[in-house]
Amino acid sequence: MKLLALIPLLPLAGFLLNGLLGRRLGNGFVSAVGCGLPVLAFLATVKCAFDLAAGGYTPLSETAYTWAVVGESRFEVSFWFDRLTAAMALIVTGVGSLIHVYSTGYMKEDPGYARFFAYLNLFLFFMLLLVLGRSMLILFVGWEGVGLASYLLIGFWFDDPEKAAAGKKAFVTNRVGDAGFLLGMFVLYATFGTLEMDRINAAFGAATLPAVSASLVGILLFVGATGKSAQIPLHVWLPDAMAGPTPVSALIHAATMVTAGVYLVARMSGIYLVAPEASNVVAVIGVLTAFFAATIAVVQTDIKRVLAYSTVSQLGLMFVALGVGAYGVAIFHVYTHAFFKACLFLGAGAVIHSLGGEQDIRKMGGLAKRIPITFWTFAIATAAIAGIPPLAGFFSKDEILWFAYASGAGGSTWLWALAALTALLTAFYMFRLLWLTFLGASRMDPQVEHHVHESPPAMTGVLAVLAVLSAVGGFFALPHFLEPQLALPTVQPERASMQTPLVALAIAIGFAGLALAAWFYARGGERAARLAPSLAPIQRVLAGKYYIDELYAAVIGRPLGWVSEHVFLRLGDRVLLDGTLNGLAALASRTAGLFGRVQTGSLHLYAFLVLLGSLVCLAWVWRHV
Amino acid sequence: MDKVTLLLSLAFALFTIGLLGVIVRRNVLVMLMCMELMLNGVNLSLVTFAHQMGSTVGAVLVFLVFVVATAEIAIAIPIVLLLVRNKRTLDLAAYTELKG
Amino acid sequence: MAWLLANLDTLLLVLFAVCALIGAGLMLVLQQPMRVALALISTMVFLGGIYGLLGVHFIAAFQVLIYVGAVMVFMVYAIMLLDPRDPGVMRRYSGLLVPGVVVAALFLAALGYVAWQDAPVPPNAGGPTGFGLQQFAVAFLNEYWLHFELTSVLLVAAVVAAIAVIRVNRGERG
Repeated sequence: MKLLALIPLLPLAGFLLNGLLGRRLGNGFVSAVGCGLPVLAFLATVKCAFDLAAGGYTPLSETAYTWAVVGESRFEVSFWFDRLTAAMALIVTGVGSLIHVYSTGYMKEDPGYARFFAYLNLFLFFMLLLVLGRSMLILFVGWEGVGLASYLLIGFWFDDPEKAAAGKKAFVTNRVGDAGFLLGMFVLYATFGTLEMDRINAAFGAATLPAVSASLVGILLFVGATGKSAQIPLHVWLPDAMAGPTPVSALIHAATMVTAGVYLVARMSGIYLVAPEASNVVAVIGVLTAFFAATIAVVQTDIKRVLAYSTVSQLGLMFVALGVGAYGVAIFHVYTHAFFKACLFLGAGAVIHSLGGEQDIRKMGGLAKRIPITFWTFAIATAAIAGIPPLAGFFSKDEILWFAYASGAGGSTWLWALAALTALLTAFYMFRLLWLTFLGASRMDPQVEHHVHESPPAMTGVLAVLAVLSAVGGFFALPHFLEPQLALPTVQPERASMQTPLVALAIAIGFAGLALAAWFYARGGERAARLAPSLAPIQRVLAGKYYIDELYAAVIGRPLGWVSEHVFLRLGDRVLLDGTLNGLAALASRTAGLFGRVQTGSLHLYAFLVLLGSLVCLAWVWRHV
Repeated sequence: MDKVTLLLSLAFALFTIGLLGVIVRRNVLVMLMCMELMLNGVNLSLVTFAHQMGSTVGAVLVFLVFVVATAEIAIAIPIVLLLVRNKRTLDLAAYTELKG
Repeated sequence: MAWLLANLDTLLLVLFAVCALIGAGLMLVLQQPMRVALALISTMVFLGGIYGLLGVHFIAAFQVLIYVGAVMVFMVYAIMLLDPRDPGVMRRYSGLLVPGVVVAALFLAALGYVAWQDAPVPPNAGGPTGFGLQQFAVAFLNEYWLHFELTSVLLVAAVVAAIAVIRVNRGERG
């Protein structure tokens, strides 16, 4: 049975059913189809994973059908299932199904319920195409498709022009990255005549390197990853994407879509292994993004924005791991991050739901006793992301820090130092968030406070499951599982001895962040408030997100707008196109007018023209006879 | 110069003078008469050729031209009559309804 | 004298041709329509003479009978009805006098060139032609009887048209 093809097809069926029939058949039907089919896809993935293990981990491959035959090249829709795919597909379907269940509670009163689940299923379909695709072509279809689903879901409440604009921003920024991705694909196709990733990786791993520059391809593909995974300079869309419903933020902008860039680089590890320059670029951009986003997160006051910048920062750390050759470790962090970030986002959603829509953490506080389940799950996930042992985040983050320091393929002290500083900031701002949201005295509006209630079981149940996974997920040694396919880099021998001290330092950093946050923000943040005036300028720059959006608007947006307005609209459209058409019409009209002057109504003139015409005809006949 | 050339030249000359008359004269009736002159010129050329070739058809054609000319003038003059009654002048410059 | 008698046809032909031409030229120049009509009549009569010199006597008869006797008489009636006698009212020439004359001269030159080329058809020996009246009549009523009938139809149409004009005339006057 074609099980691999079934995995993405199940959510696609969900999209069609919910999209076409959902409104008519009611919320019960929508929930059943919308959650049931992803769960079935998860079960199918599990079955495939078992098949993979039973077959000694030789990759499963399946061709669904031939898309096109152009000359001598065949483009097929084919799927590939190896260790890496298994890891990614399980995360996507597993966490995805959980979030679908959560959404039945969160989106219950929304009039667009059926549309929401239709879009979520559509997203799942494309994401599965992305991770299951054998050829870069199928991956790209999935890539673009998740971009589309992201646009549809960010702008889900499209009546609000700001939310719609956020969706557009996400899509356009993604497209900029896709240009690089496409160029990379073109180079690969021109060199190898195929886009199948396993074959390309093998070609780069062979003894004689192919004629094309691996670094060039590596950088081009990384540009695409930058767009999708919100790295500098294309990170600007992710914070704005928080305009979408919270389950969307959890699923797409935390657990799955944004990790597509990480997946791409890991999948094409064959290229990056032989491209040290490209890998360096990846690592540098990763660590800069991580640090940069962490600094901004420290001053954010919207609960979802803190988490958004945190996601950008964590993605940066994943790219650091990729850049130093620790591909399996990066995927490990994807896996743990999916658990605790989804739990955090869904917890934030629960808080927002409990407070009836309030998202500003300055107006929260004192919620721990009133919504305990939400509080405890959120706390566990916060500790996980801060790297407190033995929770999941500690294991993956520690591995990243270790390889950033000691990897033989680009590990260096400064890389580690920045990453460690980022970890400290991460712990700090996450615990700040926890304190300001749940602990201390209540700063809520009285009417809001009156209605605070625990979320329905659909939501709290999922939170509990994710919290448990955040706690124990780290004990499954994913890098070791992936090692036969994605080898870990060799450690620099002189640095090998630093492993234990660095682990201790990592633990210390986690607790230091906790302590700092507690000291500043306990009792409603009075100590922080006292410190605020002296740090006001820094706070302004950070709150302004380093003014990157404004920079883009001034440097890119305005000139493009000017060109559009003056060159394309006024010159091109009005003068050239309209002018040509109108000019032609005017020419016809004027010529007709000119010819019309012959018809004076004077018979004398007509007779004269007859005479003249006859003379001309006569002369003409002579010349040609 | 032989007969044919002479007569043919005469025919062409009559035709041209008739056409010139239509172009230059203002009086409607004079224009009509110039058109008759054109017909005569053409008729002369027809007779010349027919006589040269000795054909019967030519004679028949000449006769037919006579008939047609008569019928034509029988209608043309009443039309001119009506027109002149309408415009109250014989000056062709007043007849500009075909303008545009 | 003998030369004169020997070439009498040719001389008369040339004379008639010149006179016809003068008559035509006068048509362009004379102011009053009645005089123009008379010039045309003279041209037509001279043309009739030319036809006679060619030997086609019945055509000459038709020329004078029909053209002069019917057409020009009708024309003279019309002139008498319409023309307002005083010559000062209307200008003689339209605005296209000069261009008309120029182009007409060119046209005449072109046509003259055609006329003065050598004729490919052998000139008539003067023997029995199709222009004998008996032959004409026989041909007209045997081979070309259809054309004969059609001319009758044409004349009927002309009569009907004349009646229609009268009706329009009557309708206008009330």
